Amino acid sequence: MRVSTKWLKDFIDIDCTTEELAERFTMSGTPVENIIRAGVGLEKVVTGCIEKLERHPESDHLQICQMNVGAGEFLQIVTGAQNVAEGQIVPVALVGANLPCGKKISKGKLRGVVSNGMLCSPDELKIEGDSSGILILPEDTPIGVPAAEVLGLDDDILEFELTANRGDCFSVFGLVREAAVLFDRAPNFPEIKVDEDADADAADMIEIKIDAPDLCSRFSARVLTDVKLGPSPEWIQKRLEGAGIRAINNVVDVTNFVMVELGQPLHAYDYEEISGKVLNARRAVAGEQLHTLDDSNRLAKGGELVIADAEKAAGLAGVMGGYETEITEKTKTVVLEAASFNSASIRRTSRAVGLHSEASGRFERGVNEKATVTALDRAAQLLQEMGACKVCKGIVDVYPAPKSPVKVQFTSQQINDRLGTNYSDAEICGVLKKLGFEISEAGAQFDEDFITDRISFAAKHLGRAARELSQNASVDDFVKNIGETVGELINRSGSKSFVTYEATVPDWRNDVELMDDLAEEVARIFGYDKIPATLPKSAQQGHQSAAQNFADRIKNILAALGMNEITSFAFTSAETFDKLQIPADSELRRAVPIMNPLTDEFPLLRTNLVGSILENAARNFSRKNEDVRLFEIAPVFFPKALPITEQPREIQKLVGLLMGRREPKGWAQTSAEIDFYDAKGIVEELLAQLEIGNYSVEAGSHYALHPGKTAVFKKGREILLTLGEVHPAVADAFGINKKIYVFEADIATLIKCAAKKFSFESLPKYPAITRDLAILVSLDVAAGEVEKVIAKSAGKIFSGVTLFDVYTGERIAADKKSLAFNIKFQSGERTLTDEEADAAFKNILAAVEKDFEAELRS
Amino acid sequence: MEQKIQELRAAAQAEISGAADLKELDGVRVKFLGKKGELTSLLRGMNQVSAEDRPKIGKVVNEARAEIEKLIADKNSALKAAALQNKLASEKIDVTLPGRKVHCGHLHPLTLTLNRIKEIFIQMGYSVEEGPEVETDYFNFEALNLPKDHPARDMQDSFYITEEILLRTQTSPVQARTMQKNTGNAPIRMIAPGRVYRRDDFDASHSPMFHQVEGLVVDRGVTFGDLIGTLDFFCKQMFGENTNIRLRPSFFPFTSVSTECDCSCPICHGRDSNCKVCHGAGWLEILGAGEVHPKVLEMSGYSPSVVSGFAFGMGVERIAMIKYGIDDLRLFFENDLRFLNQF
Repeated sequence: MRVSTKWLKDFIDIDCTTEELAERFTMSGTPVENIIRAGVGLEKVVTGCIEKLERHPESDHLQICQMNVGAGEFLQIVTGAQNVAEGQIVPVALVGANLPCGKKISKGKLRGVVSNGMLCSPDELKIEGDSSGILILPEDTPIGVPAAEVLGLDDDILEFELTANRGDCFSVFGLVREAAVLFDRAPNFPEIKVDEDADADAADMIEIKIDAPDLCSRFSARVLTDVKLGPSPEWIQKRLEGAGIRAINNVVDVTNFVMVELGQPLHAYDYEEISGKVLNARRAVAGEQLHTLDDSNRLAKGGELVIADAEKAAGLAGVMGGYETEITEKTKTVVLEAASFNSASIRRTSRAVGLHSEASGRFERGVNEKATVTALDRAAQLLQEMGACKVCKGIVDVYPAPKSPVKVQFTSQQINDRLGTNYSDAEICGVLKKLGFEISEAGAQFDEDFITDRISFAAKHLGRAARELSQNASVDDFVKNIGETVGELINRSGSKSFVTYEATVPDWRNDVELMDDLAEEVARIFGYDKIPATLPKSAQQGHQSAAQNFADRIKNILAALGMNEITSFAFTSAETFDKLQIPADSELRRAVPIMNPLTDEFPLLRTNLVGSILENAARNFSRKNEDVRLFEIAPVFFPKALPITEQPREIQKLVGLLMGRREPKGWAQTSAEIDFYDAKGIVEELLAQLEIGNYSVEAGSHYALHPGKTAVFKKGREILLTLGEVHPAVADAFGINKKIYVFEADIATLIKCAAKKFSFESLPKYPAITRDLAILVSLDVAAGEVEKVIAKSAGKIFSGVTLFDVYTGERIAADKKSLAFNIKFQSGERTLTDEEADAAFKNILAAVEKDFEAELRS
Repeated sequence: MEQKIQELRAAAQAEISGAADLKELDGVRVKFLGKKGELTSLLRGMNQVSAEDRPKIGKVVNEARAEIEKLIADKNSALKAAALQNKLASEKIDVTLPGRKVHCGHLHPLTLTLNRIKEIFIQMGYSVEEGPEVETDYFNFEALNLPKDHPARDMQDSFYITEEILLRTQTSPVQARTMQKNTGNAPIRMIAPGRVYRRDDFDASHSPMFHQVEGLVVDRGVTFGDLIGTLDFFCKQMFGENTNIRLRPSFFPFTSVSTECDCSCPICHGRDSNCKVCHGAGWLEILGAGEVHPKVLEMSGYSPSVVSGFAFGMGVERIAMIKYGIDDLRLFFENDLRFLNQF
């Protein structure tokens, strides 16, 4: 909401800068989003009268002016303007002025003659007018006053960003009420009174009905006759302009003016056009035609609140009026409507038709249904004052169930407990009264703790006094003791109030229902900054879950292994599934659809992370970031049923991607590209650090991966992780013509397979013996299988095997490959002998010869 | 004889000092001190010396020998030192050549920011809770006192899956879930970090997906002052000891004494009118908070007359943007390596 500061100051005497005013509003819960400044740069421009004008002795075109700038002060100013004459009043920029056009005024000499300022043209003040010369002001302009005032440029506009609960501040009166409390000034609202000067009785002319009382709680109307349509007075137009509303004609302008002033939207109907002279607030019938004042025909969905006459719906209540009953130049008689419509209904309707107006915004926040009549009176008064109408007698007012005032009980203790403050009853009640709450005492309430405390105090002291008396203390002392005890009791009771108050909420506040709301009122008016900062007391231990820690560990490990974490959107599309070559019947295509996606590009929730990491790799690749190592942990979504009937399953996944050079580009670094085994190394290290061991690796398949370069990491039956080179067709679909390696895993499975306990292995006490085994095997033998056989056949003293060379080529048969292993033997109990190692080696050799038809390489 | 020895000595001295390298020096040693060396052969001629002269001559010979040996040893050290010097000089490298680069990984700036937020609250006794990203209307709105037709749950703001299921628009549903899980038991101290979704276009300050951290404390006697103290502590931990907070009254359906919290600009402290982060305002809006609304407590099984609480919600992107001076939200989701590598 926008409102001019002058409008506010019409009703309250506040003397502070616009910034201070905005700050006070903002810091008390009525946020000012923006100040639209008027007259910036005109601070040092005043009106001045040219007392004397003479030619410059050294120049043909310069003139020397003696300026009267008020308060008996005269300034000499040299001007080049030709349209000036003695006796004229003009704007004068004083020394130090920093004009809107950018000119800064300082003392100077023009061809040897002192000049202490400048006479201004409209252009220099950035206002409209003939800029070929100095701006000549009317003859009756006062001298020595700020030019901004004379030019009407001194009205700053406050732009409020009101919170949804404060419908009452959606009006000048509401803001003035707030300001009155903040600045502790009494507001002076105008007297609203109408002279019902027309002969007719409104009730005889129009009938008001409410068929939908749940959507319209009150409908009040006035009838105005002898309407003279025309422009409204300038002051009304200026105020509306400040509020961001275009002036149209006096009747419409006044309805808008009253809406901004009082917060109650009004609607004006052309009486002649109302069929049957009846207005009814009823629900629209589905398919009903609505001819709205923007001259468009709308079809009602059914259920919207409309205001209808005898024949048809004359408008969407609170959202947009009807075309036929609109005020036109022919209008002679006007029915003014002030009603209270259900905010949810208005919101639905305005959303459905895509129309948000000043009126609908107010109805959505809720208007004060107690004030409809006041608003009608104010509008009638204003129109009457400008001689634009006569006012019929009476108001037709249908108000089936008048709202009873909301009452809230509270004690100051409750409010202080909520806030952590120590305000007295008087302070709390004082603030609430200023805000318009009526406060009454609803009784004193003593809680049990309090009474127990008082009784035990009295018993203890009286008991002691009695004991002392029995032990020969004087009666005087006994009386004195009793007196002190009673005095202390009174003191203690007084320090804590237990009076329960009842606050009657003012009818313009529809947001206060509970004691907590009162606490908020007290806090915001005294200032949140006055509340002492404390910390809640607790002995609770902070923690995160094992699963959360596990995910954090994965991130740290992968970052340490040179991978960059990414964050990508959870949305995807069928096109991405196509690009990934996900088979038509795959579960991965059964994605959760979004009813109202942002664009058609992303209508689904993702079922895998491979698509998004490839998109991110492609984006980097296209930006010439060629060495890409990325990972992400995020959920994927699977519906439990389609169409969706319940929340989908959310599964945490890990995805990683590598492409580009093995080493960063550098003068002494290899420019080799990474291959499958670089990626596998990273995966192996990740699993090792997560303490996942004893897994197997098999050739496998994956929709988006190269069929010959896909490895599946398994632990028992669980698939730990799938790794492979991205299928060239998939890479191509994402616009990457390079080899890409991707791995994906399920976080829950990784957690399940990770060692629960870390077990430390002591360092060996006895030396190890190593033997190298180089064998020729056929090309299709998997090295991993050979390693398994080595481990199995080596016996107890086996402690590890490292494949250190793989060779294919000219030196061996074309269908063979050479594998060279370094095998380590070690015992925890003794130093091994060469004979033991040799025996184990022989077993290994025999086993690989048998299982793989391996030949020992000589 | 004696004269011969002196001549020999002088000759050895000259040759030693003239030796250019260790090999030459060794030649000199052999020439004079070797088995067939000149001094050795001179000694062999001792039998021609008279018996009474022998001790004297012997002494002279030994002195000469010792001197020559010492000269050779000295020369040897000098030559070795010079050789080492030459070797070192020849090994000089260009130390300004860049070192061999390694691929370094980085956590995403949002993870780094979130990790810090978690640290701060865990040390204050908060647990880290989670909830589903696809939420029911009940938990996302209704249980938070956002009845149907409340403006804040506008269709335009939320991604709906069905009329009753949507992508959560905030992490606040975890509040209600945690309270219901605790079935009326206090105290609760939790934060709930996570992704949230709003139907906003993707631009420099909006994103259809972003991250929030929700906080909730429920206990006997929790006051608004406790909330203020908590937020103040958080901001000082997050942005530095000299950070201050400013609270502005606000409105949220799920809190009763509601506030927006600003922190003083940690970059310029309000002293730079051209500050890239606060644009001279000096204050930065960082979160919304308030006392838990009694209706929210009631709906999740807590009695507002017994316990009270406070809740807060902050945007992780917002905090990260302030902390790192990032001016475009899109950078977080574009994952450009030139961006990621800076953290």
